[in-house]
Amino acid sequence: MVWQKKDKFTYETFLIKHKAILVFFIFLFACLSFRLFYLQVINGSRYKNISEQQRIHNTRECAKRGIIYSSDNQVLAESENSYVLLYYPYLDHQKPSDQILSEISAILKKEIKPSSSIFSKYGRKVIVLAENLTLKDIFKIQEKRFKLKGVYVTKEPKRLYHFSKETSHVVGYISQIQSNEMESLSEMGYKLGDYIGRGGIEQFYDEYLQGEDGGWQIEVNAKGYKVRTSNYTLPESGNNIYSTIDLKLQHCAYKALKHSDTGRGAVVVLDVKTGAVKALVSCPGFDSNKILNKKIGKYLKDKKLPLFNRALQALYPPGSTFKVVTFAAAMDLFDINPYEAIECKGNFELGDRIYICYHKTAHGRLNLISAMAVSCNVYFYNLGLRLGIKNLEVYTRKFLFGQKTLIDLPNEKQGFIPTPEWKKAKFKIPWLQGDTLVFAIGQGAVCVTPLQMANIMSVIANKGVIHKPYVVDKILDLNGNEVYKYKETLNENKVELSSKTWEFFHKALLEVVENGTAIRCKIPGIKISGKTGTAQFPHQKDHAWFISYAPSQDPEIAMAVIVENGGGGGLNAVPIAKKIYETYFGVSTLPTLD
Amino acid sequence: MIQKKSFLQRFVSSVDIWLIFAVSVLLLVSFCAIYSAGFTYGLSFRYIFVQLVASGAGLACLLFLAGFNYQYYKHFNKTVYVLSLVLLISVLVFGSFKRGTKGWFDFGFVSFQPVEIAKIMFVLVLAAFLDAKAKMSKSVSFLVRVFSILMGHLILIMMQPDFSSTLSYFPVTLVLLFVIDVNPFYLFCMIVFGGLAVGIPLLATFINLQFKFVQDETFLFKLATFFKNDKNIIYIIFATLVFIMGIWHFLWKLKIEIPFIYPVILCLSLLLGAVSSVPVEKSLKDYQRKRLIVFFNPNIDPKGAGYNIIQSKIAIGSGEILGKGFKKGTQTQLGFLPEQHTDFIFSVIGEEGGWLISQATLMFYFLFIWRALVIAKEARDRYGSLVAIGIATMFTFYVVINIGMVMGMMPVTGMPLPLLSYGGSSILSSLCAIGILCSISLRKHIYY
Repeated sequence: MVWQKKDKFTYETFLIKHKAILVFFIFLFACLSFRLFYLQVINGSRYKNISEQQRIHNTRECAKRGIIYSSDNQVLAESENSYVLLYYPYLDHQKPSDQILSEISAILKKEIKPSSSIFSKYGRKVIVLAENLTLKDIFKIQEKRFKLKGVYVTKEPKRLYHFSKETSHVVGYISQIQSNEMESLSEMGYKLGDYIGRGGIEQFYDEYLQGEDGGWQIEVNAKGYKVRTSNYTLPESGNNIYSTIDLKLQHCAYKALKHSDTGRGAVVVLDVKTGAVKALVSCPGFDSNKILNKKIGKYLKDKKLPLFNRALQALYPPGSTFKVVTFAAAMDLFDINPYEAIECKGNFELGDRIYICYHKTAHGRLNLISAMAVSCNVYFYNLGLRLGIKNLEVYTRKFLFGQKTLIDLPNEKQGFIPTPEWKKAKFKIPWLQGDTLVFAIGQGAVCVTPLQMANIMSVIANKGVIHKPYVVDKILDLNGNEVYKYKETLNENKVELSSKTWEFFHKALLEVVENGTAIRCKIPGIKISGKTGTAQFPHQKDHAWFISYAPSQDPEIAMAVIVENGGGGGLNAVPIAKKIYETYFGVSTLPTLD
Repeated sequence: MIQKKSFLQRFVSSVDIWLIFAVSVLLLVSFCAIYSAGFTYGLSFRYIFVQLVASGAGLACLLFLAGFNYQYYKHFNKTVYVLSLVLLISVLVFGSFKRGTKGWFDFGFVSFQPVEIAKIMFVLVLAAFLDAKAKMSKSVSFLVRVFSILMGHLILIMMQPDFSSTLSYFPVTLVLLFVIDVNPFYLFCMIVFGGLAVGIPLLATFINLQFKFVQDETFLFKLATFFKNDKNIIYIIFATLVFIMGIWHFLWKLKIEIPFIYPVILCLSLLLGAVSSVPVEKSLKDYQRKRLIVFFNPNIDPKGAGYNIIQSKIAIGSGEILGKGFKKGTQTQLGFLPEQHTDFIFSVIGEEGGWLISQATLMFYFLFIWRALVIAKEARDRYGSLVAIGIATMFTFYVVINIGMVMGMMPVTGMPLPLLSYGGSSILSSLCAIGILCSISLRKHIYY
């Protein structure tokens, strides 16, 4: 009856096939098991990561950036809370639907233009729907929360600059980190789309100003709805910076520069006793509140280069202001009788070339001090020739030309001192005496920044004591604890000159204002010392320089003023300095009648 | 003595304990997984209730069918076949639409998919036919008759249309023909035919969809443009035919004498396959085509057709070794998984139970199928063996296709995982099939 016994042969062939099927099935199950092992054991952690990522949304609440104060405790830059409407794309809703858009525009009563999706500081891709929401808008949006899937309101600090034009260069501005900068910044904990300081204090002290971001961790389901929130971290504001900027001086300097002939130039005012920067102006400035919008393009195209910090970065030939070096070197080395007179015929012959004095009618007989006061080129050609390039170079270095002042602001330029070796290497021609002549009056390849000139003036006023210029005095955290305080490290490299040299030096500089080229700066009751300069620049109008300090007997402030392409220094730079001194000393005089 | 034993006594004492054990463990896992899958939606108890009722009814059927002598199916195989056809026709007439197919009887409080039962009836009918005509298994007319039985079902199911349900018929038929000693060459030809019929439209769609992705890769681009031209495909088929005949002729010269009929049949099946690919291509729905395509590369359409595959792979993978814990799977509970209580139930097990539980589940499936094969081996007659193998094949096919799909090894076909997936018809028919297995097992020594 049983077929196994009835038909042995058939049954045996059946058994073979049966075995084959069993082996085949085992093979199939082995495949499944391998795949399961591969997915869960070998690749498990990878998939776990993916599942966590699509489940957890980290919303980020940006910390407030610290406040920047001026020396008289005026707020230069602060952060306000503004509310942003964000759309978090999810799954197949990568763009907000038309229904959501119309709903929101009905609430805000304006057309909504969603930004393109940006991968941002919020930790994931977001689309910004609207900015600067009012509290009323927020409540209305929250009421319709269930209709507005994927739409969130987030607090975002907004930077506010109070004296944006005047202080734009010294304070700087902030903007978002671009993807091409990420490589170097990501190590420091910055994320793409973070705001970072650009220029000025904002850049140099960025790590102090940045706070710690906080935010919510939100768990969402596949449809993008919030399931629960956990872990709220309060954002921590950044530290407040107290700068040395005197807003009054800054304002006055900016206004004066703005109303100068070209409206371009720079002013640096230093505290002679400490090195504190009282004002650092580059004109034209820019509106740091609006630079985040599309205005930056306009600024970049502007021929006046408003984004360029002239005080630190512009390199100008020092012109006659350089005569302070020639003067000091000659006095120090040769023990010249300052009252020894030289005849100025209005020109100077060297070989087959004639070097003219700017004063075409000739100055006549001059001694060292009066030559300084009227800035006679011929006299200084003679001095230059006597000194020779080697000595001049030594003194140029002594007076800190060609090196950075190491101010606590970014992107400072160091200037340049030409040397015979440099000329040989660059132009393959030897250094000529003519080069020395030109060098002695601050023309040729030598170039300096306004900050350097102010610093040099401060050194001269101090009789050689060098104070490093600085902008930030102290930094306090939210609880008022001092995080940073400027401490001066006394510079060992004093500018050593004989006391006699100093005496005549100061006398000559005083003479410049009293009876010389800077006579327009005279303020009754206050003695000011300085030196004007008219720097020639190929194919352009001359730059007008004036470097000075006051009061002469006990110097308090030193300053450098330059008006780009302003023409003569005595005419154009000096009145600006005068206005600043008037503001500083609190005297107001009627406009000088000349 | 034996006559006096009641059926239950006999069932308990001589039923295949391992089979029942495996099935009950799988049912238990199913309850847990379905409970968890419905948890966030608050549907757990509804799901569990339906599943419990279906399992209860299924167990009653199991007991009834276990007590019923399976040999009656053999004697009344024509009736069974007609009954299955009536079932399939009546669903076309009286059935209601659900998910785009007219395959459901809707009784208001409960709906039922007759195709699930029809499949089992088909196994019974096919086994009876094969057993009766086993001696003529070498003839072509035998094959033709087998296929006419098959086509009766296939056409009716395709009219619903339910593409995925028809798939399970092919492996069952092929395996049973293999067991009954049909010439393997014919089986090979059938696979070639099927492969071409489905493969060509698939390839065409794939190339179409890939077209924009391959433009920069010159070789692939050339290949794609080559295949895009219909004429080229005809040339290729023609060349293949010539090649086959050439090989045959070459072997003939080498004194390896293969009857002429073989290459002719091979060529015929190639041609037929190519020709029938045209209606298959026309009948394929867009979503089905996409599903097949995204199987090759889910990233083509990660938000649409590829979404299921990507998410279920993430779910299973993220379970790691120990799993996230019962009701704690984030993929499951936050709704990232589609159809998680039905077709994708295995990913719930994988995510929440981890590798240990999901591998164990696979082992229990294997235990179950192995027991079915053992029953086939020990059956009292060939008919019983064939039925048991047919049922085992059907289950294996379902398990491999479904779990393979969930793990991204197979295209998405919409096939339930028997015994685990939520669904009354599926669980009822599965338990009925197991009842028939028990019936075979119980009668291995004596008919009663």
